[in-house]
Amino acid sequence: MNKHATEPALMSLTAVARAIAEKKFSSREVTQSCLNRIAEWQPRLNAFMAIEAESALAAADAADADLAKGKNRGPLHGVPLAHKDMYYDAGKVVTCGSKIRKDFVPNTTSTALQRLKDAGTIRSGSLQMVEFAYGPTGHNPHYGAVHNPWNTDHITGGSSSGSGSAVAARLTFAALGSDTGGSIRMPAHFCGVTGLKTTVGRVSRAGAMPLSQSLDTVGPLAQTVEDCALLTGLMAGFDPEDLTTSTKPVPDYVAATKGSMKGVKIGVPTAFYVDDLDAEVGRVLDETLATLKKEGAEIVKVELPNQAQLTAACQLVLATEAATFHKRWLIERPGDYGAQVLMRLQNGLAIPAVSYLEAMRWRGPALAAYLAAVTGTDAVLAPVAPMPAPSIAESDVGNSTNAEAVIQRITKFTRPINYLGLPSLSIPTGFTKSGLPVGMQLVGRAFDEATLIRIGAAFQRATDYHAKVPTLT
Amino acid sequence: MTKPGPKEVSAITATAGVPVDAEAAARIANSIGPAFDGFAAVAGTLPFDLEPASYLLVQTAEVST
Repeated sequence: MNKHATEPALMSLTAVARAIAEKKFSSREVTQSCLNRIAEWQPRLNAFMAIEAESALAAADAADADLAKGKNRGPLHGVPLAHKDMYYDAGKVVTCGSKIRKDFVPNTTSTALQRLKDAGTIRSGSLQMVEFAYGPTGHNPHYGAVHNPWNTDHITGGSSSGSGSAVAARLTFAALGSDTGGSIRMPAHFCGVTGLKTTVGRVSRAGAMPLSQSLDTVGPLAQTVEDCALLTGLMAGFDPEDLTTSTKPVPDYVAATKGSMKGVKIGVPTAFYVDDLDAEVGRVLDETLATLKKEGAEIVKVELPNQAQLTAACQLVLATEAATFHKRWLIERPGDYGAQVLMRLQNGLAIPAVSYLEAMRWRGPALAAYLAAVTGTDAVLAPVAPMPAPSIAESDVGNSTNAEAVIQRITKFTRPINYLGLPSLSIPTGFTKSGLPVGMQLVGRAFDEATLIRIGAAFQRATDYHAKVPTLT
Repeated sequence: MTKPGPKEVSAITATAGVPVDAEAAARIANSIGPAFDGFAAVAGTLPFDLEPASYLLVQTAEVST
């Protein structure tokens, strides 16, 4: 018998939403299936910050009652989801992965979350994250490290650590993450799920914990590109509560998943993103290019401007803006931060205003130079990180003198894209010999998530890496 | 662009109202040094009229592939 028939938690978001709408499964059956997996996996993964079984089942029953009366709340009616614990949900504790906000209860709900609620989702709990979303590994000194379901000795990546781990283990059908320096793409890559970093200004950040106002982006992690397309379409668009959001119309992202790869031109960088690669990441990159070509894409080499300069500029902007948000707590409660986050926030205090503003002023010319270099291509393909998931032990660097160097290597391929503010879709593209997932990122033009979705969905029709499920050993 | 050493870090953080001790200043200087090094070729070269908002103009420009 098809396992999905007895364990709906294994279905994709798109499939389970359809199954509930067609009354093949009730919302209670689906929610209970997720809760069963959460009970089984949580002791090994530490992916959830809070598990809200009772209220989730009550909400599921209400959704079922509505459907029985012919009232369908939206395209995600009765689907249980959990999100990174930094999206304000009025009346619920939102810890932001921190000790400082362990009892923080907002009185507003974030726009992104509200739009998903309006589409019919219900809440199963909240997901772990790196303290204040400021770290790429998944370590958290206050709530413990989150574990990778493919090998629990390894990191999930961060800062959306719980989102990557929980989606991979099928504890939630999808989860919101946030990406300021790679925090959606990294866990997607390390945990073998799909993640979409949206263009700066595409999805509202109102009610989402800030880290860097110039770089923060909201986006989903899910099993499939189609799931990410569905969620992004529901969340995207202008928000009067966040005037940095664009008024550009939101395309039909789900329709974009139906396109083929024929006629698509994909650029592959000649340097930087192909340097210093772990051998197995290099192998997966070659295999991915071969698949894209077989499916009809044309592969061309692109010579990008100096990407290391973008990384440096990103660090100047991120460190300064993060330190500014946190200044009051740095004065009043420095002892309540974990050692690594405190050190990194202090870094930002030492960056002169002129250096910060120079990095901000260069953003326009840097983006123009990048776009000129990729003219004629639809997307650029690159690894998300030079390596598969490191072990928890080897990446537990705290505030040691080499901590920033370790962080820089992990985020080497993601930060330039944050500085440019471009969309980037991370898709599972293979596994190492030891069974750790490897993902690749497709980087597109500003507000052209649809092209990335088209390419990513076509890739997933040709492969099954995204459909593989880790087993509890 | 000159990167701040521990002494400069101590002065800047104190001016910012969040002073750090000598050990932290040394650690900060070590951590942020590569960002200054990496941006050195750009720093001090930008044209006079360049506004940070030029980013939005480039981002929202319609481009064809």
